[in-house]
Amino acid sequence: MTVGPPAREVPSSDEGGGWRSWGVTAIFLVPAAVFLIVWIVYPTVYTIIRSFFGRDGFNNFVGIDNFKAIFTTSVLTTAIKNNAIWLGVVPALVTAIGLIFAVLTERIRWSVAFKTAVFMPMAISLFATGVIWRLMDQKDPNKGTLNAVIGVVHDAFSPPGPLSNAAPSTPSIVGSPQTGLVLKTPIAPGKVVRLGLTAIPPEDVPSGAKQAVQPPPKPGEIDGVVWRDFKPGGGVPGKVEKGELALPNVTVNLRDSSGKTVQSATTDDKGDFAFKDVKGSGYKVAIGADTFRQPFAGVDWLGSQLITPSIIIAYIWVWAGFAMVVIAAGLAAIPRETLEAARTDGGSEWQVFRRVTVPLLAPVLSVVFITMLINVLKVFDIVLSVAPGSTQTDANVIALAMWRTSFGGVNDFGLGSAIAVFLFVLVIPVLALNVRRFRREV
Amino acid sequence: MAAISLDHLTKVYPDGTRAVAELDLEIADGELVVFVGPSGCGKTSALRMIAGLEEITGGTVRVGDEVVNDLPPKARDMAMVFQNYALYPHMNVYDNMGFGLKMRGLPKSEIKRRVTDAAAILGLTEVLAKRPRHLSGGQRQRVAMGRAIVREPKAFLMDEPLSNLDAKLRVQMRAEIARIQRDLGVTTIYVTHDQSEAMTLGDRVCVMRHGFLQQVDRPQVLYDRPANLFVASFIGSPAMNLVEAEVGDGVVTFGPHTIRVDESVLGARPGLSRYAGRTVALGIRPEDLEDTAFAPDASSDSRLTVTVDIKEDMGSEVILHFAVDAIPVKTEAVAEVVTAEAIEAGVAQTHQRGTPFVARVERGTQAREGGRVELVVDTRRLHFFDLESGEGIYGEVAAPAPVAA
Repeated sequence: MTVGPPAREVPSSDEGGGWRSWGVTAIFLVPAAVFLIVWIVYPTVYTIIRSFFGRDGFNNFVGIDNFKAIFTTSVLTTAIKNNAIWLGVVPALVTAIGLIFAVLTERIRWSVAFKTAVFMPMAISLFATGVIWRLMDQKDPNKGTLNAVIGVVHDAFSPPGPLSNAAPSTPSIVGSPQTGLVLKTPIAPGKVVRLGLTAIPPEDVPSGAKQAVQPPPKPGEIDGVVWRDFKPGGGVPGKVEKGELALPNVTVNLRDSSGKTVQSATTDDKGDFAFKDVKGSGYKVAIGADTFRQPFAGVDWLGSQLITPSIIIAYIWVWAGFAMVVIAAGLAAIPRETLEAARTDGGSEWQVFRRVTVPLLAPVLSVVFITMLINVLKVFDIVLSVAPGSTQTDANVIALAMWRTSFGGVNDFGLGSAIAVFLFVLVIPVLALNVRRFRREV
Repeated sequence: MAAISLDHLTKVYPDGTRAVAELDLEIADGELVVFVGPSGCGKTSALRMIAGLEEITGGTVRVGDEVVNDLPPKARDMAMVFQNYALYPHMNVYDNMGFGLKMRGLPKSEIKRRVTDAAAILGLTEVLAKRPRHLSGGQRQRVAMGRAIVREPKAFLMDEPLSNLDAKLRVQMRAEIARIQRDLGVTTIYVTHDQSEAMTLGDRVCVMRHGFLQQVDRPQVLYDRPANLFVASFIGSPAMNLVEAEVGDGVVTFGPHTIRVDESVLGARPGLSRYAGRTVALGIRPEDLEDTAFAPDASSDSRLTVTVDIKEDMGSEVILHFAVDAIPVKTEAVAEVVTAEAIEAGVAQTHQRGTPFVARVERGTQAREGGRVELVVDTRRLHFFDLESGEGIYGEVAAPAPVAA
C-alpha cells in the first residue's frame, strides 16, 4: 500500500526570513555536496568524456569507436558473454541455496553453529576467497583439495593399477598398457613364459619385491614370471638376470584361442605365477589393462573450459551465507500459526512451502535476488584472484576487462572508460528496480 | 464428523514442563466441548496435540476408531481456528477459504459452491475479493471460521477464537459460533480462558489447571457441584465467596456470623457430617446473597448484617462489595484464580480486613456505600470444601484424593 507520510508544512520563521533558512540548509548540504562532487560527479563525468577519446588522450577524439570496440573485440565479447552467464546463474542459485539452507536450518539442532559456518565466508575478502579457491582448484590431486576429494571417490570405484607406468621389454609382447599386454606366441602346458616389463620408475615397484626367479616347467601347467626387465648398466632384454626385481601382485590372465579368459593368477614375491590343470594348447598369456590403470589425474578446474564455473562456485560459497541469513530472518518473521493453519488445512510440507512460505517470503527473496544481480554485474576481484593468467581471458568479465584494458598492460584509458560507462548503463535498470521497490515498501 | 477420545494424553516439553498430564476424555460425535482454565493450564497444548501440531509425549488421541497419534495434521481432517486467525495475507478471502479444499484436490466448481455458501452464512459475500489486511477484526474472524466450515471436517478445533475481538463483538460471535456448530453438528473442541464463554458455549466444559483435568461436566453441574475449590472459584462471575468456617450441628459459623445449613444441603452432602466441629471452606455464590428487603420471609438464622464497601450498579442488578470478619480461604488454587481476577478487575484486595465478599442483589436495594445492610443467605445453596485437599464435600468420600498442585 502506498501511503505517503502526511504532508507537513514547513514552519515559516518570521524573524530571519528566507535567507537565513537557506544559509542553514547550505551549511548542512555543503560537506556532502563537496564529497559527492569530488568523488562521484567529477569521476563519472570525466570517465564519460574520456570514453570518446583514443588511448593517446584528449587530443584524439574517436567518437563512438571505443563503444564499437566493446562489441567487436573478442576478449571483450567473451567478457560480456561470461557476465551474461553470471547473471543468469548466480542470483538464482544464491537465492535458491540460501532459501534451502534457511528452511533446513530452521528445523535442526545446532542451527546456529551451522549458520555461522555458512556465513563465515562473508568475513573473508573476495580476493582472499579467490586465492583459497585457486589453491583448492589445483589440478594435481596431491595439491588441490577438490581433486583430492574427487580422487578418493574415483579411486574407490576404479582403483589405479599396481603398475601405472610400464612398457613391454621385448617385441614378443604386444598390445599397450591401455588395452593390456599379451604374449604374441600361443602357449601349451608344460611351458614357462617370461613377461618382462620396463620403463617402470623405481618408486612404482611394489615394496617387498625380491630378485625375480624364473620357475621351472611343470607338466600340465603353464608357469611364468613377471619382472622388471631392467638392469642398471645394461642387460639382456627378455632374460631374467641377477639384480632384476620381481613384480608381485600382478594379475595375469590365461586366455583360450577365442580370447576368453579361462584362468587368472597373481604373481608372488618372486614374480612367479602358475596356471594349473591346463589342457589342450593355443593359450595366450596376458596382463590385463586393469594392472596399468592410471590414477585419477584431476579435473582441470582452472583450465579454459571450467574456469568460469569454478569461479562461480567460489562466489556462491561466499554469498550463500548472506542469502541464508537474510532469508532466515524473513522466515522467522512469518507467523508460526499461518504455517500451522496451512498444515491443518491439508497442505503437505511441500505445498505449504510453495504456496504459503515462498509467497510470504517473496519480498525478502527479491531483495536477495536484486542485491545479487548488482553484485554479479560488478564482479571483479574474485575472477582476478581465482583465474590464473593463462585462463584469465576465458574467465573475463566486464569489470575485469575494464581494469585489464585500463591498467593491466593494455593501458587504453579510452576503451577502459568506455567499458566502465557500458557497465554503468547495465547497472542502471537494476538500480531503478531496487529504488522502485524501496519506494513501494515505505 | 467423528467422536474424539483422549486416553492418558500427556505432553512434556523438552525443558521438563508437564503441560498436559494424563488427560482422559471422551467427546461424543457432534458435541461441543470447551477446555477452560487460566493461562498455562495446558488447554492449548491439549488442543494442539489433537490437531497434530504438537508431538504427543504419552497417551493416545483417537478420532472415531482410529489412533491418530502419528498422523500429520493434514491427515487428521480437522479444521483449526486460531486466536490470531492465521489468515494467508497473500490471498484474498475467497482463496483463504478455498485453500484447504484446493490442497485436497477438490474440483473448482465444488470449491466455488462451498466457499460461496459459507460466505453467505457468514456475511462475507461482499468481501470475497479483498485481502485479509483490508478487513475488520470481526470479518477476519469470520474468514477464519469460514475456512474451517468449507472443509466439512471431522472436527473443529478452536483456540481462543474470540479473544482478539472487542467485548460486544465477542458476545455476538459467540452466539454465531454456537449456532453454526449446532447447525452443522460438527464435533468441536473450543479452548478459552474466559469462563463465561465456556459456560455459554459448551455442551460440556473441562476445567484444567497445571495440566490436570479438574472437572468435566455440563456447565450447570460445574456451577452447582464444583468438584473442588479451584473449579468453584474459577467458574462463575463474580467469583464464589470463600471463607473459612466451622461446621456445627446444623449450622455453620464464619467470623461473627452463624447461619443455618438447610436440610437439603445436609441430605445432598452426607460427607459433611464427618466435618462436625472442624474447619472447612464455605462457599457462597454472590447471587445467593440477597438484600433482606427483597426476601422478608427469610428466617433470622440465615441473615448477616454487613457494611457496604463498594456498590456497583449494573442496571439489571447491583453488586455489593463488603468484608466479612473471618479468615479467607488462601489455598494455592484459590489464590491463583483470585489473583488473576483481581488483576483483571484492577482491584487490590490485600488492604482489606477479613474476607472480601461480593453480593449480587436486586436493583432496588437501598444499600449505600459505607452503610449497613442486612443480607439473607440462600442456605439451600451453600458449598463446602475440605481445606486440606480442596475437594468438595459431597458423598461418602472418606479421604478425598489430594489434588495435584
